[in-house]
Amino acid sequence: MRRAKPNDRPVDVGRRVQNEVEIVLGQRKLLQRLVPGLMHAFIFWGFLVLFPTIVMAMIAAVDKHAELPWLGHQTWFGWMVDLFIVLVLVGIVTAVFIRKVVRPARFDGSHRGEADVILLLIAGVVVTLLCWHAAAHAAGLNDHVGPLSALLAKAFPSHGHAERVFVWAHLAVVLGFLRYLPHSKHLHIATAGINVWLARTSRPGRLEPLRFDVPDAELRFGAATIFDLTKKEVMDGFSCTECGRCQDACPAYATGKILSPKLLIMGIRDQVFAQSTEPIVGNGVPEEMIWDCVTCGACVEACPVSIEHIDHIVDLRRSRVMVDSAFPAEAEPMLRDVERTGNPWGKPQTERAAWAEALGVRVLEPGDPAPEYLYWVGCAASFDERAKKSAESTAKLLQKAGVDFAILGPRESCTGDPARRMGNEYVFQAHAEQNVATLKENNVQKIVASCPHCFNTLANEYGDFGGNYEVLHHTELLAQLVEDGRLQPAAGTQSITYHDSCYLARHNDVRMEPRKLLNVIGQPVEMKRSGKQTFCCGAGGAHMWMEERGTQINVERAREATETGAETLAVACPFCTVMLDDGVRETGATMRVADVSTLLAESLD
Amino acid sequence: MSGVLLFVEPGDELSLQALSLAHRLGDVRAVSVDGVYAPAAWAEAIAAAAEGADAIVAAGSDRGNELLAHVAARLDQPFAANVTAIDGDLVTRVRWGGSLLEEARLHGTPRILSVAPHTQPAAEAVTAEQLTVDTEGAVRVLETVSESTGGISLRDAKVVVSGGRGVGSAEAFAIIEELAGLLGGAVGCSRVVTSAGWRPHADQVGQTGTKISADLYVACGISGATQHIAGAKGAKKILAINTDPEAPIFASADYAVIGDLHEVVPAISAELRRVRGS
Repeated sequence: MRRAKPNDRPVDVGRRVQNEVEIVLGQRKLLQRLVPGLMHAFIFWGFLVLFPTIVMAMIAAVDKHAELPWLGHQTWFGWMVDLFIVLVLVGIVTAVFIRKVVRPARFDGSHRGEADVILLLIAGVVVTLLCWHAAAHAAGLNDHVGPLSALLAKAFPSHGHAERVFVWAHLAVVLGFLRYLPHSKHLHIATAGINVWLARTSRPGRLEPLRFDVPDAELRFGAATIFDLTKKEVMDGFSCTECGRCQDACPAYATGKILSPKLLIMGIRDQVFAQSTEPIVGNGVPEEMIWDCVTCGACVEACPVSIEHIDHIVDLRRSRVMVDSAFPAEAEPMLRDVERTGNPWGKPQTERAAWAEALGVRVLEPGDPAPEYLYWVGCAASFDERAKKSAESTAKLLQKAGVDFAILGPRESCTGDPARRMGNEYVFQAHAEQNVATLKENNVQKIVASCPHCFNTLANEYGDFGGNYEVLHHTELLAQLVEDGRLQPAAGTQSITYHDSCYLARHNDVRMEPRKLLNVIGQPVEMKRSGKQTFCCGAGGAHMWMEERGTQINVERAREATETGAETLAVACPFCTVMLDDGVRETGATMRVADVSTLLAESLD
Repeated sequence: MSGVLLFVEPGDELSLQALSLAHRLGDVRAVSVDGVYAPAAWAEAIAAAAEGADAIVAAGSDRGNELLAHVAARLDQPFAANVTAIDGDLVTRVRWGGSLLEEARLHGTPRILSVAPHTQPAAEAVTAEQLTVDTEGAVRVLETVSESTGGISLRDAKVVVSGGRGVGSAEAFAIIEELAGLLGGAVGCSRVVTSAGWRPHADQVGQTGTKISADLYVACGISGATQHIAGAKGAKKILAINTDPEAPIFASADYAVIGDLHEVVPAISAELRRVRGS
């Protein structure tokens, strides 16, 4: 831990306290799944309430007549103790039921035996506590017990021997538990709180930059061995309880890839425990695993202890790409094209604004005054035939609403997002600096972006390179224009299901605005997985430019969309458009895939 | 000897460019190697010939860089690839595919460097001394086997006939193969086809497959995703056959047939046969 690299994160105490209250005390992430969530919450809250009883037992072990000041003779506390003993036992029974009867797949690959020992120890702690209280009450040593202890006391003799037996038994189990703890995944009771505190307070979509302007000794090119990991990354490993919520949410795992976010973290943790000097990739973590990830963030969102899996994936990729130059060969043209031509398909930059010519969209020249909104079109909507429709629709809508906007045309370049998610931080930073300089030439303040990946990069990541803007996604601006009455769409009857883009909904919490628009122009039906629980289209994390093995994520998602029976699948991302359009064709369904902006424009025609 | 040892390939423009930089470093002794390419063995001969030289230079071509990497490893000296300028031990070299110029100090004797292509004017050719190479026990290329099943590689084929989702099945590729055969071309396909397992990945045209440079590309039942076009845009002419007049492929096509490939492709093949009288 001492050798781990520092985390360069803001202090931000208010936000961190809020996380502790919500995620740790409030068990917010755990309660995303009600039954397992309550099971854990009962045990966790039980431990908080029952903690003073350990101190009481220690005092009583020395002198059975001594009591903890004040709390030791509060009858309400006795009642609380009884209540939480029952709740903890209910929790344990539920846990055993889940593990032994339901046996969900999320535990595949976890150390199940360890969990059994821990549950047994927890049961031991509360049962001995209950018996001690009952025996003490029977011996006339404790008049402040709750009703359950009082009832049970009838079964105990009035002489104090049983009390002696159980107070020591209780302490023995507690000490045994503490002895077992550091060697087990249950260590999380000590580390989870710290890990939640250390978690990023920025939007989850933001990756932290590598610093290249530091002395050689501090240079870091991602993570090759465990000694390159940041403190947070090491802590992530120590905090994992192998609950598998990440694995359950992972689109790569769901479609039979090697990646499981849980096994990734466990693999890294094993290397840390072994203090291995070997590279992580190829030892603790198979090579394929790091390339399977679509950086959708479902694992991060699901994790109850704020493990940030994407950071691990990206750091491992960075080392493979920048140090070893080893990555899936098919992604090489993308990296080269981003680097050389400023877009991932190697199209001439001069054609970037071709879609906008017929519409008369203003193209900013260097030095021109900034429009109210700079429309950041992105490579996909500039060059891809299917995605261009969304750029055309958005431009028409902005014109109709009288918004003062312009585009950069050939001066717009890839934001660097796919290169960065591939692990090529050099190429990303070069593009970030160039784009920030371009935007500065026109003193741009407000940006509307059509691509959620550009949106995320511009809004959350360019700040590290001196670019601070007010950035909206086009669905946000369009929703605002409809609300202000500047666009008046006609109500429609077509049934529409909306696919949340990971980089909008999960990484940036933009969920309501597209729905507000669809509520006006059609009859929305929700898919099983939506909002922050959305399922990726398969293109994120530079996967648009990689080959996929086995079942395809986009087909899986398209199937889910067609199951709603909706006529139209609305999307808000050019990559989702392409991926899901392909996916729908693959299923043989006739569902139409269209961007929200296109559907809105049609309702105004 | 002192001076510069330059490896040249006969008739290679890049070697002449390297020569003009080498001239600036001192007296040039040009050497070349004849025969089958065997990088380790050639490098051994170059290293031996460079005894006493204060610089070893070659063109920054694939071969030049590979040879000098071997030479550098053999002599246990550093190697600067793709250099554009040199002043003493200070070199400027091209990094990251041309997007970055890096200034670096090249320690080591002799200085080993390759010259970035197209950064120097070509010098007058000089006579190169032939080195004899002992290829006994060295890696040698015995045979070059083409990956493509039809014997014509997708990358170099003059005609490529490709099928997409519209083809419908692996078996239905027979009509695509037939047309490719008649045109003396190679068979390609889109990503959908390889995902479905109808064709091997080696046949895939596109961003993540092969980028072609054919005179004619015939795209049958391919909608034309940007990913696919990125691999096909090197073709001089594109003929697209698709039932959907809205298919994006038509935006990039020179010739368009809106119709069912299952009728159109056999009709073209039949017409070719008729014209050729067979």
